[in-house]
Amino acid sequence: MNYFPDEVIEQIFESVTSQKDRNAVSLVCKSWYKIERFSRERVFIGNCYAISPERVIERFPGLKSLTLKGKPHFADFNLVPHEWGGFLQPWIEALADGRVGLEELRLKRMIVSDESLELLSRSFPNFKSLVLVSCEGFTTDGLAAIAANCRLLKELDLQENDIDDHRGHWLSCFPESSTSLVSLNFACLKGEINLPALERLVGRSPNLKVLRLNRAVPPDTLQKVLARAPQLVDLGTGSYVLDPDSDTYNKLQATVVKCKSIKSLSGFLEVGPRCLPSIYPILENLTSLNLSYAPGVHGSELIELIRQCVKLQRLWILDCIGDKGLGVVASTCKELQELRVFPSDPFAAGHAFVTEEGLVAISAGCPKLHSLLYFCQQMTNAALITVAKNCPNFIRFRLCILDPTKPDAVTMRPLDEGFGAIVQACKNIRRLSLSGLLTDRVFLYIGMYAEQLEMLSIAFAGDSDNGMLYVLNGCKKLRKLEIRDSPFGNEALLKDVGKYETMRSLWMSSCEVTLGGCKALAKQMPTLNVEIINESDQVEIGVDDEQRVEKMYLYRTLVGKRRDTPEFVWTL
Amino acid sequence: MGRKAAAHSSSSSIDSSNHPDHHLPSPTASSSSSSLSRKINGNYCNSLSITRTDLSTDLRLGLSISTSHHSDLSSTSTPREQALINWPPIKSILRSTLAGRAADNRRHPSLFVKVYLEGIPIGRKLNLFDHDGYSALISSLCLMFKTTILCPENNHVHSDKYHVLTYEDQEGDWMLVGDVPWEIFLTTVKRLKITRADRC
Repeated sequence: MNYFPDEVIEQIFESVTSQKDRNAVSLVCKSWYKIERFSRERVFIGNCYAISPERVIERFPGLKSLTLKGKPHFADFNLVPHEWGGFLQPWIEALADGRVGLEELRLKRMIVSDESLELLSRSFPNFKSLVLVSCEGFTTDGLAAIAANCRLLKELDLQENDIDDHRGHWLSCFPESSTSLVSLNFACLKGEINLPALERLVGRSPNLKVLRLNRAVPPDTLQKVLARAPQLVDLGTGSYVLDPDSDTYNKLQATVVKCKSIKSLSGFLEVGPRCLPSIYPILENLTSLNLSYAPGVHGSELIELIRQCVKLQRLWILDCIGDKGLGVVASTCKELQELRVFPSDPFAAGHAFVTEEGLVAISAGCPKLHSLLYFCQQMTNAALITVAKNCPNFIRFRLCILDPTKPDAVTMRPLDEGFGAIVQACKNIRRLSLSGLLTDRVFLYIGMYAEQLEMLSIAFAGDSDNGMLYVLNGCKKLRKLEIRDSPFGNEALLKDVGKYETMRSLWMSSCEVTLGGCKALAKQMPTLNVEIINESDQVEIGVDDEQRVEKMYLYRTLVGKRRDTPEFVWTL
Repeated sequence: MGRKAAAHSSSSSIDSSNHPDHHLPSPTASSSSSSLSRKINGNYCNSLSITRTDLSTDLRLGLSISTSHHSDLSSTSTPREQALINWPPIKSILRSTLAGRAADNRRHPSLFVKVYLEGIPIGRKLNLFDHDGYSALISSLCLMFKTTILCPENNHVHSDKYHVLTYEDQEGDWMLVGDVPWEIFLTTVKRLKITRADRC
């Protein structure tokens, strides 16, 4: 079968990098499967419960980089109890036992303990990169272990984790001999930082390219750090409160001017008035700006900042920018590809918000836009139809109207036609989140047109089971479906049970599915784990099949029922 | 798509009312037990009301701890008081960061509106929350602009020597200040203008 010796094929496989392609290659024949598995270095596990660590290690003994995802997406919004699962420990133990030459670990929504971090830091001498996104369960003590023991550490990237800050000395735990740091992000830490230790660490890390500080780092330390790292490419400031007439301000401004390589800017977790002009010198080169944690940057100061960011490709902002501000973005940021607009005051009916006008302006001014997350006060079908016409290249389109069942603000009709226009025009759309008043019709459109759709998020939408059925029947590439507060029930759930084996997972909460329906599904599909999450204090939930299930999460798996379910999770 | 996506002007049968002051849900479909009507009765009707109807209700939105979305739904409860829990969908860490800031703002809440005196192009800004009623507001403005503004309780005097206070509401109309209760005024006012009394 092979026309070339194995070594040549191996060489060819080296250029095959995407996991999808590698998976395809491994299915061609036994020989290719074998060559591929020994040469695979990067493995992505989208659901840590779909497979066991032992089987991953057995198949890919050359594993160097592992990506793991734990809790379902809705866990980000408090819909999943913290102890649901997604524990890192068994993976670390297996990797250590298997003597895997692990170099990189990327985790999302996992429960990570200090013990795991400690074990990680001691078990893999070549360990270089740790990226934790939306994880929890650990403290700065775990970080100290990583800092102290991973001699070759290049990357420690903590994105939006819930970390118990013991205000420790973890930064000082980087040994004096450690000079390999390329990327350090601790913006999500809430506690104090040993500032001199930070300065020294930056001073001895000539390869440092990414540095994101937390709120506890004051401007004068920022100045000292920047002075030692003018080669930075990505900067996240901490506190930016200083007196514009002070020496510190002038020094900072002079130092910023020298940082000509900064392309990505974030932070400003605290901002003082009239401090922002000091950062102006680097704005014209920025390709990425994240001000979603900077409610202190608003009004005319924000507009003035945006006006200078002519090369921006990615912008994350709060809705206090307003429709007018988005108009400025539209006329300034012609290279914009990704926009996220977050709600600045989620609890009150504030005066800061954006509407369909801002979105239309953006779509008209930024033809390269392909990724959108937009929290707004209102939307109209006409606007969505215009947006679809202006930007047919959307890959990710997530709209969230703050009042989740609000109709078209002008016509009072459902927003079916607007979203229909989006899916029809955007042939490559892979991710979609819906919002507003929506009937079954929008799902008919999605099923008909969204051929590349992989992930769909639904909340407070639809009239009947037909809605869900349209999607399950139509979207052939659907991998993740998450639904809350929508009237879909057993008929939709059970119509095509084989479909779920082609998907990674399905989440349904506050819908109409009953315990009986879930039981039937679990019975028909032994390769699925059907989990019921019941947090109420009601004693016997297992009795009544007619009872509606509050939260159901099902996923395909090769390893059957997991053994670490907490009390409130019941696998059927 | 083949179908005309144009909006229809006639209201569908599920429109309860287009009256802008209609805050409470109408019991059009309250007898039906389907979740559709529940949702429509619940959320759709209230969407027709103006967004700044009741600040206290909105504040309660994110703080509701009701665990069941489906139970205890009576047609008399304001729909937005229902458990809209874990909404909007933003990450907890962002939510707590912004809530912290919002709480800071609410400790010193402000509602700044622009105020113009007729004939003077440069306006001023005033924090309405600093005042507890129309009298306080008028006193502030009299001091700020050094003019006499007639109180709403007095009879209107048509004269160019005096001024009256007007405001622009959410619909863009200019109205005389003082006709509605203070709290409702706060939810509808967009900006203020002090005009000559003979204009009204």
